[in-house]
Amino acid sequence: MTDLRNRLGAEFVRRRRANARYSLRAFARDLRTHHSALSRILRAGSRLSDARIHSLGRALGLTPAEIAVSLLSERMRRVLAIARHPRFRADSRWIAALTGLRLDDVNVALHYLIFQRRLALVSPTLWTSEQPS
Amino acid sequence: MNPAVVRWQLISPTPDTAAAFYAKLFGWSVHQDNALGYRELRSGNDRGIDGGVWPAPPNAPSFVQLFIEVPDVDACIASAQQLGATVIVPRTALPDRDVMAVLRNPTGVTFGLSSAPTA
Repeated sequence: MTDLRNRLGAEFVRRRRANARYSLRAFARDLRTHHSALSRILRAGSRLSDARIHSLGRALGLTPAEIAVSLLSERMRRVLAIARHPRFRADSRWIAALTGLRLDDVNVALHYLIFQRRLALVSPTLWTSEQPS
Repeated sequence: MNPAVVRWQLISPTPDTAAAFYAKLFGWSVHQDNALGYRELRSGNDRGIDGGVWPAPPNAPSFVQLFIEVPDVDACIASAQQLGATVIVPRTALPDRDVMAVLRNPTGVTFGLSSAPTA
């Protein structure tokens, strides 16, 4: 599943190939966001809110279906990160509180992580990520 | 004794709406007092089986899966694969200690396997 960070990175590379002087600042300006925020997003260092995914997705020309995939991908990323939390609790409400996601969004993300073999619920208290997020 | 269907599960992008519909229509009660916040629907009737609603992404199709209780989920997965089934959701140990998996039978229909919680 391609997430928005990958799409942004690929689009930036594409534009730089077309114009070697095309900078991250220019890319951020074209996306109507701040270059430092964009830099953090590309380095996977910050959470992407639903609103930001919608705005960046629209600026990239993504379809509503592609934006929906980006939303799901970001939620999966957050849930996967929580599975590595030192005080992890196998409890969707706890995960929702820590990730800021709705309970149903946690469970949908959980379902896809298991389906894609990126997360295994090994025991009632042990969840293991099977590949890097 | 052969395995039996013990639970149905509705996958829905609007789980609250779906659960509320059956609660209102049949008087079934909705319970989410479990670790996943899973919406269990209970008829309160000794006949038939209870079920639940699991959320799906927006715009995803709704569908129903039947869960068959088996003594050993891993062994049943292996047997099912030999008969041509494919694994959709691998063996998964739920926080409330049920073990489950979801398979697709050779005709394309998905179904679940579950085993009762162990001590």
